[in-house]
Amino acid sequence: MEKETVIAETPTTTAEVAAEERIARIAPEREERIFLLLSIFIGVISGLLVVSFRMAIEWLSVLLLGSAPNPHQPRLIFVPALAGLVIAVLIRFVFPNARGSGINQTKAALYIHNGYISFRTVIGKFLLSALAIGSGHSLGPEDPSLQIGAGVASLISRRFGMSKEKLRIFAPIGAAAGLAAAFNAPISAILFVIEEVIGQWSAAVLGSIVLSAVSSVVVARSFWGAEPMFRIPAVTLRDSRELLAYAVLGIVGGFASLLFAKSLGYLRPMLRRQPAWSQMLQPAAAGLLVGAIGFFGFTQVMGSGYEAIDQAMHSQFAWRMLLVLALLKIVATTLSFSSGTPGGMFAPTLFIGAMLGAAVGSFEKIYFPHLTGSIGSYALVGMGVLFAAFLRAPLTSVFMVLEVSGNYSIVLPVILANTIAYLISRGLEPVPILEQFTHQDGLYLPSMEELREESNLHLEDAIQPVTVPVLQGCETITRAAATLASYQDGKSAPVVLIHCEDGLWYSARKDELETLLSAAKAQTSTARSDDAADQPEPTLEQRLGDERTPVLFPDLPLSSALPHFQRWPLLPITNRAIRGSLEGVVSLQDVLNRYQQKGQSH
Amino acid sequence: MTLATDNEREVKRRLILRDVFNFLGLTLITAVLFAITFFLFRSFAAHREELAQRWSARGREALSSGHPDQAIVALRTALSYAPGERPYELLLAQALGDAGLTEESYNYFLGLWETQPGDGFINLRLARLAATKKDMQAAINYYRGAIYGTWEGDGAVRRREVRLELARYLIAHHSLSSARTELLVAGGNAPDDMGLALTLAPLLEEAGAPADALNNYRKTLAREPNNQTALEAAGRLEYGFGNFEEAYKLLKRAELVHTEAGSNSTDLPPQAITMLENSARILALEPRKSLPANERFTRILNARDIAKKRFENCNAQLAAAGGTLSPLQILAARWTGEETTVSRSGLSNDPAMQDAVMKLVYDTELQTSQVCGLPAGDDALLLLLAKSPKAMEK
Repeated sequence: MEKETVIAETPTTTAEVAAEERIARIAPEREERIFLLLSIFIGVISGLLVVSFRMAIEWLSVLLLGSAPNPHQPRLIFVPALAGLVIAVLIRFVFPNARGSGINQTKAALYIHNGYISFRTVIGKFLLSALAIGSGHSLGPEDPSLQIGAGVASLISRRFGMSKEKLRIFAPIGAAAGLAAAFNAPISAILFVIEEVIGQWSAAVLGSIVLSAVSSVVVARSFWGAEPMFRIPAVTLRDSRELLAYAVLGIVGGFASLLFAKSLGYLRPMLRRQPAWSQMLQPAAAGLLVGAIGFFGFTQVMGSGYEAIDQAMHSQFAWRMLLVLALLKIVATTLSFSSGTPGGMFAPTLFIGAMLGAAVGSFEKIYFPHLTGSIGSYALVGMGVLFAAFLRAPLTSVFMVLEVSGNYSIVLPVILANTIAYLISRGLEPVPILEQFTHQDGLYLPSMEELREESNLHLEDAIQPVTVPVLQGCETITRAAATLASYQDGKSAPVVLIHCEDGLWYSARKDELETLLSAAKAQTSTARSDDAADQPEPTLEQRLGDERTPVLFPDLPLSSALPHFQRWPLLPITNRAIRGSLEGVVSLQDVLNRYQQKGQSH
Repeated sequence: MTLATDNEREVKRRLILRDVFNFLGLTLITAVLFAITFFLFRSFAAHREELAQRWSARGREALSSGHPDQAIVALRTALSYAPGERPYELLLAQALGDAGLTEESYNYFLGLWETQPGDGFINLRLARLAATKKDMQAAINYYRGAIYGTWEGDGAVRRREVRLELARYLIAHHSLSSARTELLVAGGNAPDDMGLALTLAPLLEEAGAPADALNNYRKTLAREPNNQTALEAAGRLEYGFGNFEEAYKLLKRAELVHTEAGSNSTDLPPQAITMLENSARILALEPRKSLPANERFTRILNARDIAKKRFENCNAQLAAAGGTLSPLQILAARWTGEETTVSRSGLSNDPAMQDAVMKLVYDTELQTSQVCGLPAGDDALLLLLAKSPKAMEK
């Protein structure tokens, strides 16, 4: 359903393409000039919308669940169920693209729809996510904020008639702004968008992403203040042996993320296979079950759960309770998300991580009191662990913990625990959860994990030793012919390299060289008959004219050689330090062979 | 770039105009959106503040009416609407402690302490919780933190109270010398506070520093000579030091104060009455060097008679018990010496003999008390004198 409606959003028409080309011709620098300025506007507007979004969630929460939702209040059961019903109806008939977390939808906008996200989707995401989270569904506001930001960017950039290329780039810029405002952590937001939405570092968008993220955070902080969503405890690494405890946390987190991913990977497609009428009831049923969890004593798992994260960080729960909360959050989030209720998994992931971290910390504090520092440190590292293992964003996970804690002494435990959890999760579940969702939705977006780890081939990977004859450009034609003849297979060599006096090279085909030699011979005989023997014989270089093969170095991308093979049969690869010094050569066949080798190895 | 045609120039001009209008529109939309968000946020913030106040008031009420469990729920709710609000956090931490959630309360206070390590109240709470957790070193550290921390209002008084609490804690944990130090510092910080002196004195007694306690009672009596508590306690302490004359004076004055007060309910406690009577009798028995010679000799001879009788009774008691080797053999030998027969005139000519007789008396009372049990009557009083460190000097 999502796939069909998403495809319907694609807006590009032939007339638009023509208009784009015309503008590019008339004002070629226009887009670059307004690009950065628009990034700031996108940041500010996204920040304002995310502030409103958070307000809406809290208003709805107070309105629907009361100002102090406590166990055994009947409304805890029926409010999420009723809200689920309303959400299902609105998704079915009004906002069909508001389903899901928002991350994959933003990626789809970037890779499939030229950065297009409809205004209706933004509105739908805002209203339905706020209703879902405010009514107690176990989902978070960050991923919807990311899509709201991307939607704002799409809307503004379309209004300015930006080119298709720029429209695509604006989606991650808005996404970073939305996420930064929601989580109040610009660095993490920037890294997350690069890691999870774009997949690769791109200097072209980095500046704009930073600008928009910072603008949105400034706006959000002017309303909410600079504090993170939860109070950060003092973080200490008391003893280097404590790293063992963090390693244990990494293992626990790795398996917990696996359980979470497997649950979602099983339930979501199963529910989506059900008949349409039952899908209308799924958010309500999920709300009923999540509400029941709250009703029977675990209200902490309802909603985004930031207060519970704060309490876990400040040792407000016993370790058994923390484990129960983590487990119930996995259940509740799996139910809420799989049912198609709009909302994110960012906050639930942090919740589960914080609970597991605090549980490990509390357990060790009881049984190994001399080893353990503050429980808050473990909760903080636990959040990073789940983030790395479940969302498969290892870089963001490390910087997120550093950014929210503002303490670099935690970097070692974070890296250790995150790496262990990431490796376990990746080893046991090779396909990341966000990629699983795209496959379930029938979309095939690029795998961010593969993109990040893709090793780009360089010319040095295809370089071959020089086996063709090498002539000096300063030689006369006669002398060059003699030199060529001195090579064992000189006559039969298909290509000859000519080293010119300016240090550059010329790669000549056999027929081209033969033409050159015969022309030179003819000219020489004419000159003799004209008694012009006193005139010096022209050099090979003079005969070649000004054209030279392009200068290529071993570290350049392998693809950089491809455009030149139409003109040149063989490309000399030279040393960057010594002008003209030959490192080797590449032919089209060498390049293709190398690409094929890589393809086979994958 | 040069435009090829007028048409393109016109298109470019329109493009620039469109961009300008778009930016103006965008700026306007941003401003409107900002204004709407601002007003909504203000209302939102006001509502949150109201909810926070309402729930914190409920929490306070529950806490003061002895329902910490309800207070915890209410204060947590209040904090969800006003995160980081210090007074609510302190109340919640307190409620957690009152509800018996020591570990949670300790951790909560610890979190608050990390942001304000110099806060006296937080340190005091942490000290009490550490004491509950039987972490003595942490408790002492936090008590010290509270003493040297910042306090709202009358800091000096609060610090002194904390120091006294620390001293009590140290006494309870038999760290008497540290307790004495704390008490002396507390007294030194407020030398003119009579109320404090009266508070410190019993604590100093508990800390095994009766001399310091006596000083504090004396200090009180210097200002308030008729302070009943101080008179009784100082009399008791003087009695304990063997200063029976001082003890008698103080206890007698205490009795007089009671009498002047004219109420039976304020009679001296039985222990003080006994001390008073004993002191009076000791003063009548004791052969003090300050007495006229005749009176002193009479008292020495009287004491010798009492001691001799005690020795003989004890010996007889031991013999009746069938002991073959009397533990009083050495003493018996001494009772055959010159001290046992010396007369009044002999005493008057030989001051050393006076001391020797009294030495025999005291040794007899001490040794017989160890062998035959505690004596009664004048023997008991002589034993008290014997135990007095300056018995032979007086």
